[in-house]
Amino acid sequence: MSPDRMKAGWLPENVYAVVLPSLAAIMVVGGWQYAVTSFQISPVIFPAPLDMAMAAPGIIGDLFHHAGITGGEALLAFVLSCLIGVALALMLTVSDAVFEAFYPNLVVFQIVPKIALAPMFTFWLGIASTSRISYAILISFFPVMLSTMSGLKRADANTLRLCRSVGASKWQTLLHVQIPYALPYFFSGAKVAATMATIGVVTGELISANAGLGFYIIRAQSLGQTPKVFCAIVALCVLGLLVYILPVRAEAMARRWWRGGNG
Amino acid sequence: MSGFISVDTVRKIYRTRKDTIEAVSGASFNVEQGEFVSILGPSGCGKSTLLMMCAGLEGLTSGHINVAGTKVEGPRQSVGIMFQDNTLLPWKTVLENILFPVRIQKKPMEHYRARAEELIEMVGLRGFADKKPHQLSGGMKQRVSICRALVTDPDILLMDEPFSALDAMTRDEMNDALLDISDRYKKTSLFVTHSIREAVYLSDRVLVMTRRPATVVADIRIPFQRPRGRDVGDTAKFNEICAHLRGLIEHERTPGWTGQMARAG
Repeated sequence: MSPDRMKAGWLPENVYAVVLPSLAAIMVVGGWQYAVTSFQISPVIFPAPLDMAMAAPGIIGDLFHHAGITGGEALLAFVLSCLIGVALALMLTVSDAVFEAFYPNLVVFQIVPKIALAPMFTFWLGIASTSRISYAILISFFPVMLSTMSGLKRADANTLRLCRSVGASKWQTLLHVQIPYALPYFFSGAKVAATMATIGVVTGELISANAGLGFYIIRAQSLGQTPKVFCAIVALCVLGLLVYILPVRAEAMARRWWRGGNG
Repeated sequence: MSGFISVDTVRKIYRTRKDTIEAVSGASFNVEQGEFVSILGPSGCGKSTLLMMCAGLEGLTSGHINVAGTKVEGPRQSVGIMFQDNTLLPWKTVLENILFPVRIQKKPMEHYRARAEELIEMVGLRGFADKKPHQLSGGMKQRVSICRALVTDPDILLMDEPFSALDAMTRDEMNDALLDISDRYKKTSLFVTHSIREAVYLSDRVLVMTRRPATVVADIRIPFQRPRGRDVGDTAKFNEICAHLRGLIEHERTPGWTGQMARAG
């Protein structure tokens, strides 16, 4: 929609940004409610929004409890996969030998459909949270590593010449030039990792756990309490968003440092 | 005979997987202390390579380069260097960028901060010390990178087409600024450019290089007194020198002609 058409509307411009998406969402939810009611679909097969709203008050405490467990594990997996991703990126960048030896293997390893390995983690590490966190790290460190690596190569040839010319050591160049240049790239990888870490933990919980939203979903489903399953999925969305906000906020802080407060 | 910078029959051969490229072929010249010398030549003729060899950033295939009486065998710290792009670090302020070499070399910060502030004043950037590069124009960024090149008071200044990415008017301003700086600090300078007028305006001597494999074919002394003003560029003598240099470069550009003659002989 062109700015001219926006101005010609019957509401102030900035209201549209809130009103239009909300209106669309209400229409979808309303349509969903209407379809389920008019086709008389059982809430066990496919609950309507009202079924979920009625189920929610009774289970809100349970949801918070299980979301806390899933969230804690996802957060830990996210932070660890950032650390591992950055450490690997630094090792592969600093040493040509390490790069030659490991990089092709890491790419091939990326082709493995890692979802198929999820049950093995329960087999290896048991039902404890270690197994789910390890699996979540496995699927989320790679984007951090890859984007940080490309960021570390961002400093242009002349900037690197300047560093050599003033006598900077490899470590000084890394610290003063390459790492700051890599920061925006690291964050784009970290945002992917935040999503992947949550998915990884929930996948693990779906397979085997005694707590967490994934565990809650499986249990409610086996009891035929489908509205509860859907409520848990909504809780999962909120949780995923909260974990995602972490790298977004950190990135905003880093950008302020890069460009200066008044920039 | 050897000058402050002495380049003696320097050759540079790049070997790629497919073939070997001779970038510089037996270049020799001297630069006296405090002298400002331009290297003029067509793009891609190896003049930048020669400059990087003087900085110790590129190895030589054969020949010698001496600066201040010592052989250049690796990066030497007493070099101020400028590139076509400003190579400022975008997250550092103007002052922090200028002090970057001081920080890397772990020299006393307080002493050099005063010098950095003096340089900022000198290039007309007073009040911009705490700005970040994205808040500056292209010309201002290159002024910052001149300050950075001079902050540790190096004994030579090497510049690789530093103003070729700027618009014509900014470039004229930068030439004037560089004239002021070289009159004031009297740095032994090597300046690579493909602008004939810029070379004549700024230099005590202009060296003309041929197309690859590059070698120095002419060494022209520029007779104008310092300090110079822009009016120098309007004199008949100035234009005569420019025309002479253009003739030299165009002669060298005749494709394959000299080569064929040599083979025939």
